[in-house]
Amino acid sequence: MANPGPDIGQEIEWIKRAQRGENEAFGPLVDRYQRRIFSLVYHVLQRRGEVEDMAQEIFIKAFRSVRSYNFRAAFGTWLSRIAVNHCYDHLRRIRASRVSYYWQLTEEGQRELEAKLESPEAQRLDDEDRAALRDLVGKLLDRAPRSDRVILVLKELEDYSVEEIAEILKLKASTVKVRLHRARKRMLEDIKRWQPGRAISGVGQGR
Amino acid sequence: MRCEKIRDLIDALWTGELPAAIREHVATCQACESYWRDARLVQAGLHALAEEPVPEVSLGFATRLVRRLGESAAETAQEEFFVRAGRRFVYATLMLTLALLLALVLPATGPVRGPATADLVMAEPEIATARTDRLVGVYLSDIPDVAPAGQNERDQKGQQ
Repeated sequence: MANPGPDIGQEIEWIKRAQRGENEAFGPLVDRYQRRIFSLVYHVLQRRGEVEDMAQEIFIKAFRSVRSYNFRAAFGTWLSRIAVNHCYDHLRRIRASRVSYYWQLTEEGQRELEAKLESPEAQRLDDEDRAALRDLVGKLLDRAPRSDRVILVLKELEDYSVEEIAEILKLKASTVKVRLHRARKRMLEDIKRWQPGRAISGVGQGR
Repeated sequence: MRCEKIRDLIDALWTGELPAAIREHVATCQACESYWRDARLVQAGLHALAEEPVPEVSLGFATRLVRRLGESAAETAQEEFFVRAGRRFVYATLMLTLALLLALVLPATGPVRGPATADLVMAEPEIATARTDRLVGVYLSDIPDVAPAGQNERDQKGQQ
């Protein structure tokens, strides 16, 4: 995910040529950043089958607006911003038609998982456990507000730094931290809503 | 209040190590312990999601994309032309169909066609009945069975 270090001069050359309308110069840029965009799209949308089409649309959009790129942010960051905005629009469109799922993990299953997580080697999680966890968090992300989802994906799944997320989302770093914090909190509160039996009780309830 | 602060710290520290004081509280407070457990669960889930292999970029993705860029530039101009021409064709066809339908349907339906003619047709009998009314009344009143009921009464009133 880091900046493409060695041939940054070459990259600038490609970008400038693309800005003059040379399609061929855009090819190596696509080559360089396709994995990054695929990963981002996949993690935000959580849908394997839609990734390639979305990535294609994103790169075409990027080529059409490449003249507006001013070399201030890294090219990858600029591309990620276009990708995030494109995913955002897509999520808005599909949100209406999407059924919200409910977490299928039983309380017993959860206890078991928790016990395994307690143990020093998390290696004990088998494929099935991992699938259950992915399922749980995937659904939590699916239900989260779009802005929470995007910021969580950028930080937790794509492993971007707070500063880079700030650049992608055009926010201050301090704002990113606050939103990240809030997004985590909302996710944890959402789990509680699914498990009324295990609702927080007792003195000092958070809400 | 204290619990809320503890949970805020859990959100903020996230995967980092919890300070001893917080661990102590979590060990004694059931609600915070449950919150912390959920946090661990979500962290593990996010980790599992991140580890899942991302769909592979298909071979020749960049090449195909560049080709599409070339095509799409030429296409947009061409497409616009066809779209506009197509739209015109559709409109023309629709209008033609409508005209044809009207031409077929109109002569068959009376009242719609020429309201002026209909008015004339309606007006004439009115005048005619107005004129013949009395005449018929007079003639028919001679034959009581044939004359309409109302007319008979009117006639009788007239006679009185």
